[in-house]
Amino acid sequence: MSVPVRVRNLEKNFGRYPALKGVSLDVEAGELVALLGPSGSGKTTLLRAIAGLEQPDGGQVLFGDIDANSLSLRERRIGFVFQQYALFKHMKVFDNIAFGLRARPRTSRPSESAIKAKVLELLHLVQLDGLEARYPAQLSGGQRQRVALARALAIEPRVLLLDEPFGALDARVRKDLRKWLRELHQRTGHTTLFVTHDQDEAFELADRIAILDHGRIEQVGTAQEILDHPATPFIDSFIEGIARREAQAREWTKPHVVASR
Amino acid sequence: MRLLTRRSLALGTAALFLSVGAAQALADRTLLNVSYDPTREFYKEFNAAFAADWKAKTGEAVTIEQSHGGSGKQARAVIDGLQADVVTLALAGDIDQIASKTDKLPKDWASKLPHNSAPYTSTIVFLVRKGNPKAIKDWGDLVKEGVQVITPNPKTSGGARWNYLAAWAYAAKQLGGDEAKTKEWIADLYRNVPVLDTGARGSTTTFAQRGIGDVLISWENEAFLVQKEFGADNFDIVVPSLSILAEPPVAVVEGNAKAKGNLDVAEAYLKFLYSPEGQKLAAKNFFRPVDPASADPADLARFPKLELVSIDKDFGGWAKAQKDFFADGAIFDQIYRPTN
Amino acid sequence: MAMSDRVLPLAHHPERATTETATTKVILIAIAVLFLAAILFLPLVTVFIEALRKGWGTLFESFSDPDTLAAIRLTLLVAAIAVPFNAVVGLAASWAIAKFEFKGKNLLLTLIDLPFSISPVISGLVYVLLFGAQGWLGPWLVAHDIQIIFAVPGIVLATVLVTFPFVARELIPLMQSQGTSEEEAALMLGASGWYTFLHVTLPNVKWALLYGVLLCNARAMGEFGAVSVVSGHIRGLTNTMPLHIEILYNEYNFVGAFAVASLLAGLALFTLLAKTFLEWRFAGELAASARRH
Repeated sequence: MSVPVRVRNLEKNFGRYPALKGVSLDVEAGELVALLGPSGSGKTTLLRAIAGLEQPDGGQVLFGDIDANSLSLRERRIGFVFQQYALFKHMKVFDNIAFGLRARPRTSRPSESAIKAKVLELLHLVQLDGLEARYPAQLSGGQRQRVALARALAIEPRVLLLDEPFGALDARVRKDLRKWLRELHQRTGHTTLFVTHDQDEAFELADRIAILDHGRIEQVGTAQEILDHPATPFIDSFIEGIARREAQAREWTKPHVVASR
Repeated sequence: MRLLTRRSLALGTAALFLSVGAAQALADRTLLNVSYDPTREFYKEFNAAFAADWKAKTGEAVTIEQSHGGSGKQARAVIDGLQADVVTLALAGDIDQIASKTDKLPKDWASKLPHNSAPYTSTIVFLVRKGNPKAIKDWGDLVKEGVQVITPNPKTSGGARWNYLAAWAYAAKQLGGDEAKTKEWIADLYRNVPVLDTGARGSTTTFAQRGIGDVLISWENEAFLVQKEFGADNFDIVVPSLSILAEPPVAVVEGNAKAKGNLDVAEAYLKFLYSPEGQKLAAKNFFRPVDPASADPADLARFPKLELVSIDKDFGGWAKAQKDFFADGAIFDQIYRPTN
Repeated sequence: MAMSDRVLPLAHHPERATTETATTKVILIAIAVLFLAAILFLPLVTVFIEALRKGWGTLFESFSDPDTLAAIRLTLLVAAIAVPFNAVVGLAASWAIAKFEFKGKNLLLTLIDLPFSISPVISGLVYVLLFGAQGWLGPWLVAHDIQIIFAVPGIVLATVLVTFPFVARELIPLMQSQGTSEEEAALMLGASGWYTFLHVTLPNVKWALLYGVLLCNARAMGEFGAVSVVSGHIRGLTNTMPLHIEILYNEYNFVGAFAVASLLAGLALFTLLAKTFLEWRFAGELAASARRH
């Protein structure tokens, strides 16, 4: 099901302001990639352009062999999780998750019983069994996040895109969800891109990290590659905090340091 | 239950549209008479009489639609496209306006029917409260201190202009034609007016319904009508020594009537105003008939004899009177200062 | 004891301050209530008292007058055209303004507000200037025998113009505050634009839409100024209820005038009740969406 995503020289301007200046990125099938950068670096624009929510001014997005431009938004079949989840607040959890299946044209729409089975299966997958009759307003932040994810997974997406998936959650919930998302990704194997401004999140969760600044990708690589060989002075300073903590963590593992604490 | 109400709603709506259609399909021909305010009651009766007469003569059913409003406003509506077959307005000047702004009326429309196309006349009288507590007998009593006079604004009301000119004629005669003194007298009169309504009906309502003022300067027919509507034991009519002859004219709006194929019935309609039956109905509704012979003597007895000045002879016609008295900056603007 | 003695003068000041504000509050509320009673309630009661002055019989009799019935029918017809039209166009305009970025958006917003800021008489007069026999399109209309002003189409047009902002004004702020993310989510899930509108956009604004439609309807039935200018006042043909009230009043038919007026006042009361109910419902929905963030 998973396909590789290839981004070629993508450009996007908002009026006179260039948000993406020729971005290229290859994501392998089943890979989990973080788009990391300070605010205004273009990471969310890149994600939305891949999704088709922004029309690029130049360049190309390929899902496998298919040019995304040849697909309408509904044909792209992309699972997108919004920063504020964008759950349908007038619908119950069940109807939120079933939305993508019910919105299909009559010929390809599954039967209500099939939809029900699928929704319950997804609820189980995101560990929300028994909450299908709740309204979004009756859920905690973490629960909403997981409903949004289940809703995106329901359409059996080619690619999963997450915009600041943990941005609206408090620190403790973030940690738990991060681990859980990693496990979920391993189980479902979707090609996944997520946007974050949090270095720790990117380094802990992603197979590879793309660091953006001013509409360009500064470096793409695994956590180790970036830490060991930061490509530019910007990367160097941007990951400084992580590098220091990594170093400290190595120190802390030494017995005498632990004892002194 | 829910189904039932929905169905009855649908039925009701259907009935509504059907009845609109039915009302339009009922009459073969409809004639639109665009008239001024105080003629409502008269034309209500007259239209029924005419329809019966037309039916008897031709076998054809005709419905007459009525539109009433301030005379000047109605003329404007006809100019802007209101499809009047006939106009029956307060002033010749208003029909002149239609003739000059459109080609639907010949310029010499007034010569088409007898008496300058005015089938009935009226005049200006006073209406006072029962027993005449302020002892108002003539125009001279209206300028006395403590008398509240109700009359509409001559800038907006046709009737108010007649009121104003009648007062002027009286004062000019009393003061020997001294214009400065006449102006002063008129200024005194309007100083006694607490409310200047925009139309004649508005003033009547102020006086009769709201109970404001001691005397209403009014159309004669309007004064009689108030007595009829509010009871003769509430108001008295006082006839001044001198007043003005008002000749409300009528005309066929040939352009419209021709286009609607109504020329014959429109002409017959206006001619019927001059017929014995039309004249009788005019007298019954407090208009002075031009041909009193056919009116009910009891109705005629209500019209007191008094000296009447004429707009043409004494003021040089409407165009001149308008310019002298009511145009911006003319005499009325010079003498009238709102009291608050 | 000694302590409370020492505390008292301190506590006294704030206490006096609160009594003062309490008094002020009572006075302010009293003024507001008296004002409402004098300005709103009394006139409304007068309408019903005057309508019943000569008893129920006369009241019902005045509703059997064919001209009165024609006025009621015309008013219903005009509202039946103008209100759905404005609901649909207002919804479309609000959607465009709240959900899309385009050039001239502010101009469109200003245009929507225009009927609120100009006198209804002017709204009527523009149609006379456009469609009147002396107007811009007058000669063409006359040549093709099309009657717009002084006929039902003119009355409908004037009513549409005057009541246009009600639905749009109600929806635009709500739609703007709701943003576009739910619509984007629906589109990403494969829904068509129409499906998204029906299942996401519309349910989110339905109470506000109903609220706007109610206000629009009340105004459409009650509009006097603009309709008066284009009506021509032909009895039984182009008189709406408000115009007919004036005519009946001017004919000394006070019971008849107030009978029709009491119908309109009844509509106003119904609108008020429905509005209160909606505000109560609507507030619940708004609170739900506020809790979400």
